Parts: sequence; C-alpha cells; structure tokens
Amino acid sequence: MHRITKITGYVAIILVVLSFNFFLPRLMPGDPLSFLTGAPGMDMPIVLDEETRAKLLTYYGLDKPLSQQFYDYMLGILHGDLGWSIYHNAPVSDILIGALKWTLLLVGTSTALYMVLGILLGAISAWNRGGKSDVGLLVSLLSIGSFPPFFLGMLFIILFSVKLNLFPAFGAQTPFMGYSSLLEEASDILYHLFLPATTLVISHIGGVYLLMRNSMLNVIGEDYILTARAKGMAEWYIMRKHAMKNALLPITTMIALRTGFMIGGTILVETVFAYPGVGRLLFDAVTYRDYPLLQGAFLIITLVIIAANFVADMVYVQLDPRLRHD
Amino acid sequence: MKKGKNVDVLTLVILILVCSVFGGIAAVAADEKVVKFAGDLPGGDWGYPSPFGFYPRGPGYIRMSFGFDTLTWKDQNGTVIPWLADSWEMSDDGKTWTFHLHEGVKWHDGEPFTAKDVQFTFDYIKKHKTSFKWFQTLGYIDHVDIVDDHTVVIHLTEPFAPFLVDIAGNVPIIPEHIWKDVSDPVKFVGDKAVIGTGPFKLLKYNKEQGYYEWEANEEYFKGKPLVDKLISLSVNDPALALTTGDIDETSFWGRRAKAVSAFENKSGFGTRWGPSYWVLKVIFNCERYPTNLTAFRKAIAYGINRTELVELVVHGYGIPANTGLIHPDVTEWYNPDLPDYEHNVTKAIEILNALNFTDTDGDGIMEYPEGGDLEFNLITLDKFSREAELIKSQLAAVGIKINVKVMDMSTVDGILKEGNFFMVISGHGGIANPNILEKPDWPGGTCKNETYTALFKEQRETMDYKARKELVFKLQESIAENLPVYTLYHPKMCCVYRPEKLDTWFFTKGGVGIGIPIEMNKLVFIGEEEVRPAPSLAPAASASPGTTSAPTPIPTPTPEPEQPGFDVIFAITGLLAVAYLVLRRKNR
Amino acid sequence: MTEIKDLNRFWNAYKESRLGLIGLAILLFFVTLAVFAPYIAPYDPHEMFKPMEHPGSDHLLGTNDIGQDILSELIYGARVSLFIAFFVSVVSGIIGTAFGLLSGYFEMFGFFLMRIVDAFLAIPRLPLIIVIAAFMRPSIWNLIFIFIILGWPITTRIIRSEVLSLRTRNYVEAARMVGAPDTYILMKHILPNVFPLLVVRLIIEASHVIIAESSLSFLGLGDPTAKSWGMILHYAFVYPTIFISDLWMWWMLPAGLCITFTILSLTFIGYALEELVNPRLRGMTRI
Repeated sequence: MHRITKITGYVAIILVVLSFNFFLPRLMPGDPLSFLTGAPGMDMPIVLDEETRAKLLTYYGLDKPLSQQFYDYMLGILHGDLGWSIYHNAPVSDILIGALKWTLLLVGTSTALYMVLGILLGAISAWNRGGKSDVGLLVSLLSIGSFPPFFLGMLFIILFSVKLNLFPAFGAQTPFMGYSSLLEEASDILYHLFLPATTLVISHIGGVYLLMRNSMLNVIGEDYILTARAKGMAEWYIMRKHAMKNALLPITTMIALRTGFMIGGTILVETVFAYPGVGRLLFDAVTYRDYPLLQGAFLIITLVIIAANFVADMVYVQLDPRLRHD
Repeated sequence: MKKGKNVDVLTLVILILVCSVFGGIAAVAADEKVVKFAGDLPGGDWGYPSPFGFYPRGPGYIRMSFGFDTLTWKDQNGTVIPWLADSWEMSDDGKTWTFHLHEGVKWHDGEPFTAKDVQFTFDYIKKHKTSFKWFQTLGYIDHVDIVDDHTVVIHLTEPFAPFLVDIAGNVPIIPEHIWKDVSDPVKFVGDKAVIGTGPFKLLKYNKEQGYYEWEANEEYFKGKPLVDKLISLSVNDPALALTTGDIDETSFWGRRAKAVSAFENKSGFGTRWGPSYWVLKVIFNCERYPTNLTAFRKAIAYGINRTELVELVVHGYGIPANTGLIHPDVTEWYNPDLPDYEHNVTKAIEILNALNFTDTDGDGIMEYPEGGDLEFNLITLDKFSREAELIKSQLAAVGIKINVKVMDMSTVDGILKEGNFFMVISGHGGIANPNILEKPDWPGGTCKNETYTALFKEQRETMDYKARKELVFKLQESIAENLPVYTLYHPKMCCVYRPEKLDTWFFTKGGVGIGIPIEMNKLVFIGEEEVRPAPSLAPAASASPGTTSAPTPIPTPTPEPEQPGFDVIFAITGLLAVAYLVLRRKNR
Repeated sequence: MTEIKDLNRFWNAYKESRLGLIGLAILLFFVTLAVFAPYIAPYDPHEMFKPMEHPGSDHLLGTNDIGQDILSELIYGARVSLFIAFFVSVVSGIIGTAFGLLSGYFEMFGFFLMRIVDAFLAIPRLPLIIVIAAFMRPSIWNLIFIFIILGWPITTRIIRSEVLSLRTRNYVEAARMVGAPDTYILMKHILPNVFPLLVVRLIIEASHVIIAESSLSFLGLGDPTAKSWGMILHYAFVYPTIFISDLWMWWMLPAGLCITFTILSLTFIGYALEELVNPRLRGMTRI
C-alpha cells in the first residue's frame, strides 16, 4: 500500500513537472526564433521576412495549437523521443547524454566523498562530544561550509590555478590531448575534476556532518548503546555496529534530497570552472528559449531527483528493521 | 582483515589521484604547429560547422568558413579578391554576373570542384531557404546557368548592389555529390556534412565542451595553411587562459579590452587593435507617447553624455558612435557631417519645457503636461546594465526619472517586437555594411517611415557607387535627424596572441564576409604575402617573440576513439562496487 | 510576565553557547551596517568616481568598473542581502507554520497538502528558480516571491511532523476530551511547543536565502540595480582581468567574505538554538 501511494506520487510529480515546464517557457516573452534571427545584444542583425519566419515556425512545429504541441510532446516522451534542440541543432537526448555524464561524474564523485567524510567525521565528533576533536571539527566544518560554492570556486582558481599553477582552471579534459592510454585519459579527467569536486565536497560536507553528529548523539543516548557498553564491548565496535548503523537512517533521506539538489545546483560550479554539464545546458536553454531542450533537461533532472528519492526509500527500508518485514 | 580491505581501497584512490596530477602534465610535444584560440566570452560552442549547422552568429559563420569557400573573399583592406572564382563580369543592367572559376580545386574528399557545384549550391539554398539561416538575400537570385565546367552565370531578378560581398562573398559553395541526396540539411551532420574546399578539415567537434579541431588541408588551392592544426576551445577566463598558455590567441572588446593592458608590454605577447563594427544604441518606441515625439527624443539625446559613457563604462576602449549607425572607419559609406547631439543639459531642458514638460512641484523630476512625474522604464540586457545605470543618472540631471529593468535576451527581443517599451538599450554588429540601414531600430519595429524604406530599396539597386553613396548618406542623415535610435558608442576590439605560434593576425576592414568583425579571416591562417599585416601595425612587444614564456606542451594529435576515459572511470567504480558487494555477502 | 521570564531563561541558556554568541555578534555587526548604512558608508553606492581605482585614502577598497566606491557598495549590500533573507524567512515561516499546524492537526487536509509538498520538494530548486527568474524579470520583490514559494514546503513538513507527535501528548488529548475548540488547542498548546523548532528553521532558511540570492545574482539573474553582495561578485567575476591581477583582493574577496560570514553567523546561531531545543546535542561542555 505504502509503495503504491509512493509510486502514484512519483508519477503525479512527473506529470506536474512535465506540464509545468511545457507551459511555463511558452508563457515567457520571446520565442526560440529570437535566437535564430540574431537576438538583441548579440551579433549581426538578421532580418527575417514574415514568410521565412512562418516557415521556420512550421519546421519546428511551433505553429500548431498548444494542445496539439502538448500532445505531440507527451507522445514523444512515451516513445523516448525528447525532440530536436532548436539552439543546438541536435537531438535533445544526445545533448543531454553528453552533458549528463559530466554532471553525474562530478556529482557522483563529490557525493561519495562528502558522504563518507561527513559521516565519518560526524560519528567521530559525536563519539567524542564536548572533547577537543569535537569542538575543532564542529567549528571548522561549520565554517568552511559557510562559503558559497561559487565564491569558493573562484578562490580555488586564484590559489591553485593562478598562484600555484597546480590544477587547470577550466574544462573537463585537456582539449584534444591525444591520450596514449586509457589510464592517461582517466587521470586527465580526474585531474580536471579535482577543483570542481573539492568545491562541491566542501560546500556540502557541513550539512551531512552536522546531521550525522546530531543523529549519533540521539542514538548514543538510547538504551541499547548503554547496554552494549555495560556488556563491555569495544568502543569502536559499538560505534560502528550499533550507533552508526542506526544513526545513518536520517542521513539517507538527506543524501537523496541533496543529490537531486546538486544535479541542478552544479550550475554554479560549472559556470566558475567552465565545466560542461546539465546546469549550464539548462541555463542556455532558458536564455535561448529552446523549448525542447528546456523540457528535456528539466525532465532528466527531475527523474534523477525522483530516482534518488526512490533509492533513499529503498535503503531506508533495508536499514530500518521495523520496516523490513512489513 | 576488514581494516586491510579499507587500506587497499584507500591506496587505490590515492594512486588514482597521484596519477591524475602527473598524468595531466605528461603531454608529449610534437613538431606540429598548433594554434589554439578562444572567444572573448564564455561558451565555445557555435554549432556544427556545416553550412546549415552553425549558429547564426559571426563566430559560427567563421568556424564554418574554415571548411567552406565562397566565390569571392575579402582581404585585410576589405577589397573583394578572387577566391573560388578567378574573375567575374557584370552585365550593364547589373542583373547578370559571370564567374570564371579557379581550375584544379578539389573537395576534401578528392572530388573535383566544378561549375555544377556552384549551380547546385544556389539552387539548393534557395530550395531550403529556412535552413540556411545566415542572411536571406537570396531572393535576388533568379537562376544560375552553367556555361562550361568552370564558368557560371548568375541571373538576378533585380540589380543588387552589394552582390559581390553579400552573396558571392557570403554563400558557402557545397559539393553536389554529397548534398544532392540530403533532404533536411539542418539535421545532416557528420563527416560528410563538413566536406568543403576550405583550408581546414574538421577533425573533431565536441558540443558540450565547446571544442573544435581542424587539420590543415595540405592540397588547398591557395597554398598550404601556415598552421597544421587549429583548435578552438571554451575557457572561463580568456585572459587567464592566455597567461597560463592554454590558448595562443583571443580577443577582447569594449570594457573587456582593459585586459589587454596586462599583455601590452609583456614579452611573448602581441596585440593588434581593430574596430568592432558594433554599436550600442537606445531604441525608442516611436508609437508611444512621449517617445513618439521627435523633439522629446532629441532632448534625451542631448541629456545623454556619450563621452562620459565611453570613459566610465568602456574605460576609453571605444568611441562615441556615429549617429547614423555606420562605423566611421568605413570611409566608403560613413557620413561625417551628421549632428552628434553633444551633451547639453540646458538644451535638453529647454526642449522639454517647450513641449510643456516642467518641474512644477520642484522635486527635481519634470511633470507631464497632463500631470504626473515624467518617469518610465529603460529596458536592457544584463551585460549593458552599467550603461543603463549611468544613463539613468545622466537623465536624472535633466529631470527625467528612469527605472532600469534588466531582462534576458529573449525577453528583450519579445518586448521589442510587441512594442511594449519606451526605451531599450541594445547593441548589434554589422555596421560596416549599408545593409544594416534597412531597419535602424532593429530588432524593434515601431519606427515606420515609408520614404526611408523606399530610399533604402533604391540604394540597394543602384549600381553606381557614387550615386549609391549619396543615398546611403541620406539614409544616415534621416536616422540622425529623426532619431528612431540614438547611437551610444562603438567599442574597440583587440586581439592578443603569442607571436611565436602565429603572428599573422589582422582585422579585416569592413569585417569578414558580410561584416563579421573578428580577426579570424581565413587568410590569417593561409598567410599569402600580400595579405600580411603592414609593419606599422605590429606592436613593439612582438619584436621579441616568445623568449621567456614557458612553452606549453603540445598535445599529441593521435586520433582516438571518442572518450573511452569515461567508460574506464565508470568501469572502475562499477568494479569497486561489485567487489564490495561480493565481499559483504561473504562476510555475512 | 511569564513571557519576560521565559525570555530571560532562554537568554541565560543561550549565552552559555560560545558559538551562539560569536554568531550573534557577527550578525549584529552586519545588521548594524545595514541599519546605519547611510551614516557609515563614506559615499552613496551609486555615485560614480574614477573607475578601477586601487585602494587608497579616498576609497579604502578602491572603486569598481564604473567608479562606484566598493566599500560603500558592501555596506549598502548588507541591507539588500539581510532584508531579503529575513523577509523571506519570516513570511515563508508564517505560511509554512500555518500549513504545518493545519496539516498536522487535520488528517485529510494533511494528506493532500503533503502530496503538494512532495511535489514541490521533487522539483529541482535552482533550475526552477532560473526559469522563473528569467520569466519574471528580476527585481527584489520577484526574488522574494520566488524564495517564499520555494521555502514554505520544507517548513511545513518539519512543523507537521512535530505537530503529529505533539497531538498524541496527554495534555492535548485531555484538552480535546473536555471539548476545547481546535483553534484554541492549536494556538494554546501546539504553537508554543513548535515555536523553538520554528526559530531554528527560520535561521536556516535565512542562510539558504542568502546563498540563493547571491547565487542568482552571480549568474546574472539578480536585480542589477540593487547593490547586493552577490551582484558585486557577479560584476567582479565577469571583469576580464579579475584572475590575473590583484583586483580580486579588494573587489571580490570582501564581498565573498561578507556573504560567508553572514552565513557563518546564521549557522552558529542556528546550531546554538538547536542545542537548546534538543538537549541531547549538548555535550559535557557547551561550545
């Protein structure tokens, strides 16, 4: 029952998002042809006569009534066809896949890192509550977590790229470097990933750390921990086996919400580091009123968020013994 | 046992990180001459460089022009020079043009280029009118006849004065043997879509990273290009990328040209200045009170201090604009005798008072004759918000209250087309070409003037240069007098480059093709003797090219299947995950 | 009378927390800047002098690209950033609490409202803001509107779960037994008990709004005529030589640090309050 409600909920959300991002862009002033004709402030003016304009509208299917467009769009999605990007002049799905792999790499790597670090540090902090390491960790993590990600990224560029010349300031790969081996390419990608990922890790670790610490502190007060201690079990063992496992419960929900948030939120880091990704794509799609791409990007981001929520639900059920045998 | 496993994973992670640090630097130098450039603004993707795939923007056309040639081209002085056509004749009525094509030109795939390709191109583009999004003047073409393999005759419906530049020097000739079967040229991409006759062949294009890579066309009919490889990429900060050696050339314009000062006297860098053929202007709504009153618009023109604008906002990297739109550098069309509405607050107030706008309640803001504060919105784009802020404060001195509204490009475009505005600040290029005078308030459309439109059509069909020039002068006069737009400034543009890589950069007078102002004329990369820049233009700094600057490692250009690195990373992650799960199971 | 006593007790407990005090001090500093900006700032932030002046006696932090005094911009920036943050957090707090109380107390209403909240939470936040910001044309009030729209669902969810647990408490049950009206129970018994949680939430929301506002401004979607810290950073970032010269030290760094310290102060205050609300978080020694 619970699961059915959930799934209906997800479907409803997807439908809402789909219609929302179908209609909203079409309500905005300006249309996709603004860009094709050389929009203000850009380049050379291209004067379109009415006939050509009408033909272009027909070509992109923008002259049909809205209801028909909406129907085609929904039908296309059911067939897995996200349409043709007007600005990029390529299939939306190709563009999205091209960008999404970088975003997933960036978000995936940093999520893994900040999760592990945040959980570990949070647990250590809680276990030594009030101690020097707790205070130190608490203050320092809350402090570094206060840097807005884009500001942190700019500082990193100045420090690591300009002053120390250690890491590249932009891009996801050395442009057209001929790689002699796969390892070389992989390491080049990681090399470019370092600064953006570190920025994301630092700006997200504080939240996980704090939640883990709070959650651990709640758990530590529980009876079974006291019992375990009374039994004379090793501290490290109690911490790992009993305290952490239970304290992790609320974390899973948070991570899921955050992952979704990060997929769209990486746009700041992408802008600072000129890193290719979905965020930047979405931004351009809005700027150029590229309806198909905008819809596609929004859909993908929402799907990732819902998937993250779904995984969190699953993990939650797995971790929580009370729910497992329902 | 468990601890041991953790350590292993940790070692692996560290190993990968260490590898990445050193691996990234370990690029191998090669003998090839590679030149990397980036545009001034972030975002290096200008579309697939096929004649129908590039984004309709100057940089997009330029990237396409590396692979495709036109019948004529422009040299540094803006003179039309023979290109695919060796010579041409025009009939007396200006309606028939005969082109004698260069012999021995080959397409990138080895097929010979003939008159049939030229005929096919014009027919094809006419047929797919909406697919070729770059300048729609092809309506003037009636039909194309083939005389022999290397002679074509183009028949026009009406005489078209700018034919040699706007059509012959603009339309890329495409190979018939490839495109004849293509029904939707916009969606036709891939290796075949970029086969042209041009000096460079496209090797790689990566949309999401905004990278292009071309290799020299060794058999180019104008001679082998100076560089073996040309790379265009996307950087977040061009000045920084130039310093670190990630790029060899970029250009800055307007306020951003301030960055040039960091390179001007630095050894290892050369700079070259050019006009941008770009104008920033105030577009008035000629259909809405009070901006529909010519006198009111004049008052605003007097109220705006363009000199201050150039100094404060553009930091001196620009000049107050010609009120008739055409850039002053374009001597053959520029009308130097136009009123320039020099800043004069008293005069502005006088004009407004004469229109019965007065400050009756003494709050520093004038009132409409009908009552109510003289207050309205000034709409602009984010990048011109500084200009808007300054104009707001300048007009406040006159007694006009301006509210600055910043909107995104498409919104401004929409508003201009709806006519729902009083004043908009916007800019555009292409002001080296009299064509731009067709709609002075582009992309707006509130200023309609039938005499003006007739005059424009007349000049377009006048084949005699002197007579045409007079008409173009009249058009400019009309703009300066009636002020459908008030032009603000023309920014300057500067390219900064590493001379050790390539020092033939120049700005084309009148712009490349129909007027693209950037320094990427393909002649730069071909380097024919007569097109080399005049020595006087070369800056002192370039006399000692590349003595100290650290040479950047040049990547080995071995073609590689696309992006296997990704699969590796995902594969490693996957393997680790599987291994972990398996081990976990075992432990249970 | 009891309120004052409560407040006193609260303050006594609060001031035990060193982090809380530090946070409060920093916040007070910025609030002072914001309130007394016209008296503190050396110039009007819109006044234009010679552009790109380096720091000197006339302009302690130099001038920006159109000659405005950067220090004055920073001081006035506190006004914009803090105003948006507090306005949004209070209004979205009120809306969120109202919905939270109702949905926690009335089951059917709660069920439907939670589905809406779920939908809001599943919609990607920043992308949505980008779309709406492009649609609505940036102005401070539009930004505020967007942030409120996006802020209330989280508050609602937090308040609701608290109300759900409060509802089963004996005194609430008892009040219901004796036939006290729902509004009375909500206002008298439940609201005071969710209040501490709400304050923590408001503080956290305020810091989120500051980040969101500066992020939007940084992307060029803010209100460029408003002198917010994010807008200063935006203009600095798009300036061509920001990375290769020393400009960043007086143009970019101070604005970034202002944002960072404001968020830091809110985080510290939030943490201190959370400790008060949830005594288990308190360690042996307070920090």
